[in-house]
Amino acid sequence: MVDLLPQWLRDVLGQDVLFWLGYFTNGKHLSWYASVQYTLAAGAIGAAVALGLGVLSAAGRNSRFAGFRLLGKAYTNSLPGIPDVLFFLFFPLAFEQAVEWIRAQAVCTPAELALGRWPLCPDANLIFGSFEYLILAGVSLGIVYGAFAGNVISGAMNSVPRGQLEAARAYGMSPLQVLLRVHIRQMWAYALPGLSNIWMLLIKATSLLSLLQISDIVLWADRLGSPNFTRSAGLVHPDWRWGYYLVLLIFYILLTFLSEKLFTALQRWAGRGMATAGAS
Amino acid sequence: MELITAIANDLVILAKPALFNIYFAAASIPIGFVLAIFVALGKGSSSGLVSSLSRGFIYAFRGSPFFIQLFMFYSLALAFNLSLWKPLGIDWIVLNPLILGPAVLVLNTTAYTANILHGAMQNVPKGEIEAARAFGMNRLQLFRAVTWPNVIRIAWPAYTNEVVVLFHTTALVYFTLPVINDQKDLMNKAGELFEKDYNAFLHFPVAGLYFLGVSMIIFFVFGRVYRHLMRHLPQAPAIRFSPRWIRG
Repeated sequence: MVDLLPQWLRDVLGQDVLFWLGYFTNGKHLSWYASVQYTLAAGAIGAAVALGLGVLSAAGRNSRFAGFRLLGKAYTNSLPGIPDVLFFLFFPLAFEQAVEWIRAQAVCTPAELALGRWPLCPDANLIFGSFEYLILAGVSLGIVYGAFAGNVISGAMNSVPRGQLEAARAYGMSPLQVLLRVHIRQMWAYALPGLSNIWMLLIKATSLLSLLQISDIVLWADRLGSPNFTRSAGLVHPDWRWGYYLVLLIFYILLTFLSEKLFTALQRWAGRGMATAGAS
Repeated sequence: MELITAIANDLVILAKPALFNIYFAAASIPIGFVLAIFVALGKGSSSGLVSSLSRGFIYAFRGSPFFIQLFMFYSLALAFNLSLWKPLGIDWIVLNPLILGPAVLVLNTTAYTANILHGAMQNVPKGEIEAARAFGMNRLQLFRAVTWPNVIRIAWPAYTNEVVVLFHTTALVYFTLPVINDQKDLMNKAGELFEKDYNAFLHFPVAGLYFLGVSMIIFFVFGRVYRHLMRHLPQAPAIRFSPRWIRG
């Protein structure tokens, strides 16, 4: 990386700066910077799944069918009661086992199935790589925070003034039009403060990816900062991990800061023309 | 029947590990609460330096994941082990997970609680403060007689959620800190049981049951305290049966 700089700039910077510039742009450090994509991808997948499940469970809770109501309530009320990390570890394992069990019914011999020991047979074994685990991690974050989002969205749906819906009906809108153009359109203004809160929780939970052996920013920080000892060069550097974690801490604070700005803008956009606090 | 015995068996095995999670929460909550009062007062302070320091502390700890905070403080403790803690003879205190864990939890909960308390301080009725001033109360009297009783009543529902979420956060402690001997918490023990028979559908939900159960007890106890705080009102406020599970 340092070789790419023009000569005059190298002269200005001097040997010390160039050395550190070279050190912080070596292959391992570049992999560290690149691994931010896993964190952001898990956050994006999680947010998409959470929003989808939030809308679904909110619809379920307001459904005419008792079964859907029960399902929606069970999901939104029980899942927040356990730590996110517990579900985050449980879901990928449970998913893998469920798929293996289904495969085993077709692949394994009856004698092996009758033993009932896990793993059922070698042929049914699934080997998941870090890509599959990344998807699973994103989805399980989405399931956890979808329960929170369901609470927020169903509360926001109830916060839309009845008069607005009655006025829309009086204008002759069909039920679907009332739902899409008035109810859901106005719902966002009430839901966004809560959704912003959930997004902050979700983005902070993306720091857990390393628990599923994904080489994310946390795992790389640990690798890069660990005391580095080689036989030929001796102790290259002592334990620098706290410095790397400090960088991660600042990274997350920046991410929170940017998200706050984004959600403030979104809130202003969603509340345009509405007589609610915070909307202009 | 087999399932019930299996669940009961797990409940018994996980009882002692659950105590470690309860210990982490119980050790950090009272200290964090007391510190949070000072940080909240600092955030509202008229001194620019104190106010911005408190704001910075709250923003940093609320804006970053506990997992990273724990990693950072643990690696700090490790990095200065040979140069500082060992010569001072306090390495067994600094590196003990039963002390370092609650210490980082204290910093974390202080930030969240201070934010809740500061929000509540903002909402103390102005008239009551003016009346107290007119009575000639000094600042300490004013805080004790007027501000604090209002603050604790306004903040209590949000603080209840904070305590529950902090208890959930204790699940992360032993993913970073070393486990000494058999001092395993719920997550460690559930993972260990899983590695023995690969029964994810039994061990993890039972561990979750412990978290859910203790959370329910916290909501119940804090609900009773809330009723006590609000006893001067003509009707006791309805106990909230829909916990929010979310931090303020």
